[in-house]
Parts: sequence; structure tokens; C-alpha cells
Amino acid sequence: MSSPFRREPIGDGVFFSWITDPKFKHNRITASLLLPLEREQVTNRAVVPFILRKGCADYPDFTELNRKLCALYGASLACDVSKFGAYQALELSVYSVDDRFTLDNAHLVEESARLLAQVLLRPKLVDGRFSEQDVLLERQQLIDAIESQINDKRLYAMSKCKAAMCAGEKIAVEKYGYIEDAQEITPQSAYDAYCNALDRAQIEIAFVGAGEAGIAKEIFQNVFAGVQRHPVLTAPYHGRTAAEKVQETVEELDVTQSKLVMGFRTGEIKDRHAMMAMRMMVALFGGTPNSRLFLYVREKMSLCYYCASRFDRLTGLMFVDSGVKRENKQKAYDEILHQLDLLRRGEFEESEITATKLLLQTSLKAVGDSLGALDEWYLSQTVGGSCISPEEESALLEEITKDDIIKAANQVTLDTVYFLTGKEAQ
Amino acid sequence: MERKVIHSDRLGEDMIRIHHDSGLTMLLCPMQGFSTAYAAFTANVGSVDTAFKTQYDDDFVEVPEGIAHFLEHKMFEKPEGDAFALYAKTGASANAYTSFDKTCYLFACTDQFEESLKILLDVARRPYFTKESVAKEQGIIGQEIQMYDDSADWRVLFNLLGALYHNHPVRIDIAGTVESIAQIDHELLYRCHRTFYNLNNMVLCVAGNFTEEMVLRAVDQVIKPDEKPIEVTHKITEEPAGICKPLVEQKLVVATPLFNLGYKGVSTGPAGNMKNQILDEILCEIVAGEASPLYRKMYDEGIINVTFGTEVMAGRDYMCTIFSGESREPERVAAEIRAEVERLGREGLDREFFELCRRATYGRYIGMYSRIESVAGLMSAAYFAGVEDIYSILDFVADVTLEQMQQRLKIALDNDKSALSIIRPQETGDEA
Repeated sequence: MSSPFRREPIGDGVFFSWITDPKFKHNRITASLLLPLEREQVTNRAVVPFILRKGCADYPDFTELNRKLCALYGASLACDVSKFGAYQALELSVYSVDDRFTLDNAHLVEESARLLAQVLLRPKLVDGRFSEQDVLLERQQLIDAIESQINDKRLYAMSKCKAAMCAGEKIAVEKYGYIEDAQEITPQSAYDAYCNALDRAQIEIAFVGAGEAGIAKEIFQNVFAGVQRHPVLTAPYHGRTAAEKVQETVEELDVTQSKLVMGFRTGEIKDRHAMMAMRMMVALFGGTPNSRLFLYVREKMSLCYYCASRFDRLTGLMFVDSGVKRENKQKAYDEILHQLDLLRRGEFEESEITATKLLLQTSLKAVGDSLGALDEWYLSQTVGGSCISPEEESALLEEITKDDIIKAANQVTLDTVYFLTGKEAQ
Repeated sequence: MERKVIHSDRLGEDMIRIHHDSGLTMLLCPMQGFSTAYAAFTANVGSVDTAFKTQYDDDFVEVPEGIAHFLEHKMFEKPEGDAFALYAKTGASANAYTSFDKTCYLFACTDQFEESLKILLDVARRPYFTKESVAKEQGIIGQEIQMYDDSADWRVLFNLLGALYHNHPVRIDIAGTVESIAQIDHELLYRCHRTFYNLNNMVLCVAGNFTEEMVLRAVDQVIKPDEKPIEVTHKITEEPAGICKPLVEQKLVVATPLFNLGYKGVSTGPAGNMKNQILDEILCEIVAGEASPLYRKMYDEGIINVTFGTEVMAGRDYMCTIFSGESREPERVAAEIRAEVERLGREGLDREFFELCRRATYGRYIGMYSRIESVAGLMSAAYFAGVEDIYSILDFVADVTLEQMQQRLKIALDNDKSALSIIRPQETGDEA
């Protein structure tokens, strides 16, 4: 049965949403606990999903839990921490084949939903708190995850630029937290963080897939029935809209290729129309293979393999990043700003607008073909305080004119330049 | 034109196989309800093709490392401009990639499918190379190569392949080196294109939101038969059965050491390798999957973390199995895996656990038929492997026996043919 996106409260600060289509062969149920990013709390909270993944009341043994997942046709039980604007999301999800494709008419929707509900709400406890062995292992895993961010230099450079740019702002708080705090995690502190998250988080349970969402809804409705909570509901984030002056940071590491990252603030975005205009401007500037940055910095000047811009609508930040030779940094930097300047002056063609619009619309229409993309789309909508479908957004893009794009480009101010480079001249 | 419908009872779905009069083979899988269509036009050429000849050549021609990838980049340039500018008019999201033994041009679109398909067919079939454009691309790809030089995940894999293989070109980097691509010129590119981008050596696979008629109209319009059909002979490199060296290490800026423990397998040709890849994936699940005793032991000892995983790499004439992850004690992880492989060989595999792993693999393979990109990918992989019915793969998984697994354990995971690759952190003040 096919159903468009729906979202209903099923408890105090608990929401169940669903979208189904028989074209899929799988179901994905995600529980997201949305919590304000708080420097003091973030690290203890970050370890929670990983501890929950280790076992639950019915399957306290990690191996038994994993064998159960094999029996559910290789269902995957995933956990992670993400960041949506000024919120930390503790996520647990189960992804399994739809009942139609099992060899023995198994009831995987029901079993998966029960398992997820139990992992979330009936964890394995020892003396009323998390097991010491699990906490010690997962604490180390968390430290590893934080430290390993340096392994991917592109992501590392991007996150360093963002941290420098937003120092002191909520959105600068790291999703996995901080090593010095992780070292202090104890079975009690992690368990307290879990109880606190269950009490205060806005909880979003989302069902996307081919199966019967009603079964999952009933299961979660029952487990949250009568639970007294003190949820803090999410609200759109409003940060600094303009940069006062440009700050520059250089970091030296033993790397072959240098990474240039430029962080911009995008001004006050008053409504959906202005949001779409900004999205179009950023895509036309450096978001597609027809964009200015791709065509000039890469193709014409042959300076790099990638030079791209991206826009985070939840924080109002735009980043441009490129991997270049150390001696080409200034050339790339100048050209990036020059191209932005041309957009500000309106020196671009109507055909570029059409191309950008078409490509964005293609990606919007494709959201409905992927369970993961649908899930992320609607969660991001929820945190941003709106609830429009990809199709509706696609229609809104239609209205964007050249003047809107010029206006958006003129709202953008450069805040921070971060440069990661080798220790000596290459 | 030959047309055949292939049906799956298990999934209740069909795909169509068409051999067009031009010589092109098409595999089409229209999927109801999807908004996107995904088309992949693939040539049977990749980084391993460093020496080859056609029926018209006397001797093998040797080409610089990385030329297949270079060719892929250059196919986007046309006399009238960049191919992305053509796609800009249809809204298709286009891309291309080169692997060890394939080069694939692709797009995804939601509207104007036929127009986009015409562009795709034209992009891959109409070469245009000049001295200047080759020089410009050397700068761009040079930066791509340097980006990979800093990538620990990439280096740990290629260092491993270099340790497993003495001569086989799977050991070389897909993009080549800054030095090797400096030897590429436009004439060499034309020669490679003539040889490999022949319709006999290519396949068009489409999945998702489109109709057969749309594809046929576009192909009729754009695809012209080759002037002369070409049969490619890939030069066979003498490769000993054993590994090249047991351990390879490198230092890079990483937090925790990264490792790849690889087992050199035995190639039985494209079709055999594709089937053995499935068997070996189940085997990996049994040996080191999340539900295995080994995984539990290593996790509890804190020597592996969530990045631990396994992969079976199979191609035209090579195959290997890789256990990878981050670990403070990579040698200990390797020793644990080798000990478990030895134990399972001695004691035999557990029947009940095998059944569980087979069931899990079956469920995961259903996933290959549900996303349009993976359906197109599966169709082209099956085509080049000579497997006509893509749905037979699902039956194959459902029918795997414990005895097959016991046999694969001996062949695919031979400790004497394993090598360990480690990337260690570059400490401050280190003199590497």
C-alpha cells in the first residue's frame, strides 16, 4: 500500500512518521533522539547509541543479538550520531527485507520494530546501569572515532574550518564530543546520559519502506504509552548572519595535497523563497559539474580535481573546498572570490540558471527512490521547522529568478579561510 | 534484432535482453513506481589493461599505467565543449568511473530520458582529443592522484595488492602515477578508444523509470555499427600462485593504524569468479561476520572496532579476499584471523551457523535487485562475466551447500597465500 508522508504524535514529545510505497523491497525504521548540542552533555550522550547496540533485555549477549539479525534475513541494526543544525541526533535504525521476499513468510516488520523498540527502551543493565565491560569498550571506540577524523583529509579540513568559524556558537559543538570528556565516561555517567536523553529528547520514529507501517506504529505507541517525559522540542536555529572580518588559519601536516576551505555566512534568510534562491545560488556557484567553480577552477585553470560549494540550510553556512598544490592556493582563492563577484554583479547566463534548476530538480525527484534519502529529508525538514515534500520544493525552485540569485550572492560574506598544507614546500 | 525476456518467479520481475543489429547488447529492467532512470554504458577495459592487441595487430602494444582512467576523463571533451554542458539541457546527473577492469559512463534522470540517453551513447562513442586538452587533463588528474596519495584507505589497499601480486597489473594504481600519465598523448588515446570502445566490447544497461521503446529509438538514432568489428586479446601476465611479500608498511597522517589482511585467491575465469565471489562473501560472514565467535573475541579484546569489515574482490582474471579495519595491534588481528581460518579448516564449519549466514546473505542480495543503480550494476557485471540470467544469482545463494563452503575455505583462505598491509601513524618528529 502506498502512503504519502504523515507524522503524528504518539507520546509526550514522541512522533511517528511514515511513508510507504510497494516499489521498495525493504523497510527501514529509525529512532532519532534529538537533543540540543550542549558542550557538557554531548560526549556522554554520543556513546549511548553504541552501548545500546551491544545488547538488550531479550538478547543481552552481543553475539546472540547479531545471530538474531542473521535470522531476520540479514537485517542490519545500525547506530550512529549525527548533527542537524544545532541538534545532536542519537540514531538507531533497523533495515530489513520486506515480508514478501522471505522464504518462509516471516513477519519481519513486526519483529524488526519490536527489536528496535527493545534496543531503545529495554537495554541490558547490570546492577541498574550499563555494563562496565561494554562502557569501557565503547568509550575507547568513541575516542577512536573522534581521533580518526584526521584520516580523511577533506572532511578533516572542512570540520576544522567550521570549528574555527563557529567557535562559541552551539553549532560548533562536535557530534561525537571531546576526547578529554570521553576519557571520563563511566557506566553511571553513560547510563545517566541515556536516562536524561530518554526524558528530554524529541523522539522521532520514522518508518519508510514497502510494508505495513501500522504494525510498527502500534508497537511504539504501546511502549511510550503513559510514559511521563520532559521533552525539549526542536526550534529553528538562528546564528550570526554576517561575518565582521575574515579570519585565516593555516595548519601544517605531513600531506601531499593541500586543502583550501572557505567558510561563508549567508545573511538573513526570511522565507522559503529566499532559502531556495540561496540554494540555487550555491549550486550555480559550485554545486554541479556545470557550475562556475567546476568550469573555471578545475576545467579552465586545471588547478584541482575538486572545487565545490555546499550550503547547510539548517545553519545558514556555505563552504567552498578544494584540494590544490600549495603554490596554487592563492590562484584558486582569487578565482573562487572572482567567480562569486561575477554572480554578485549578475554576470551569468539564463542558461546556467536553467541547468542548475534542472539538476536540482532531478536530485529532488530522486529522493523518493531511496529509503535513506527519504528518511534524512523528512528528519531534516522536522528540525528545520517545516514539512514540505521534495516535489513541493522542486516547484518552489521554479519561481527563482536571476534577480533572486544576484540578491542571494550579495548576501554572502566570507568569514573564515582554513588552509591545510604540507610541512615544507612541495 | 534478438530479444529475450528473463523472468524471476522469486521477485515477480522481468528484464529484457536485446542484441541490436549494430552489434550492441542492451540489458533493460523497467521498474514500476520509480521516478529515476539510471543508464550505464560500460566498456570492458580498466586499469589492468596495460598490454593488449587486436586481430589486426602483430604484437601486443604496451600503454602507460592509468590510461583507461585518463581516457574516461577525456571522453567528456567534445569539439563543441564539455559533455556536462549537453546534459545541462536535460537535467540528468552524469558521471563516469574506471575500475580495475571496467570503464562506465552513466547518468540518472527523472525527465527527458531519451535525450539524455542519446548524449550518453554519443559521449562514449565519439572521441575528440587534442594535444592541449591532454596537457590540461594531466594537471587535473595529477591532483586526483595526489589526493589518493594522502588517502590511507586507498594506500592500504594498493600496498596490499602490491604484496599479493608479483606482476599482475591489478597491483597498480587505477589512475596511474604523475610520471606514467605524463607519457600519454592524444594518438595513444585514439588507439585505446578504437580498440576498447567497440560495440562488441561494451554493454548498455538501464534500470528504473523508462520504456524499452525509448531506448530503442535512441539507440537506432545514435549508434552506428563499427567500421570493423574488433576482438581484443588482453595480454596474460605470468603470475605465480604465491604472494610477493608477506608484510608491507607505510606511514601517513592517521590516528590509529589501518590494516588490510589479504588472501590471494585462484581465478577460474570471469563466470567462475563471479560465483565464487558470492560463496566467499558467505564464507567471510562465517569466519569474521558480526555474529561469528572470532568477531566477538577480537571486539572484546579491543583490537578491532566498528570499521572492521570484509570484502571479496573479483575481476576478469584475479580474485582475493580482504579483512580490513583500524587497530592498535594489526599484527595481532592478522594472527587471530589466521588462527581461526586454521581452526575452521581443522574442525570444519558449523552447519547451523552456516544456515544463518546463508539466510543473511540471501536477504542482503535481495537488496541488489531493489535499487536502480545496483540493478544496472548487477546486469553489467553479469553480462561481462557471461552470466545471462541475473536472477539466477539469487537462486545460487539460496541453494549454497555447506560442502561448497568447506571447499571454498581451503581454496580462498589459504594462510600461506596471505599478506598484511599496515598504515602506521606518522608521529611528530618522525623521519619517514
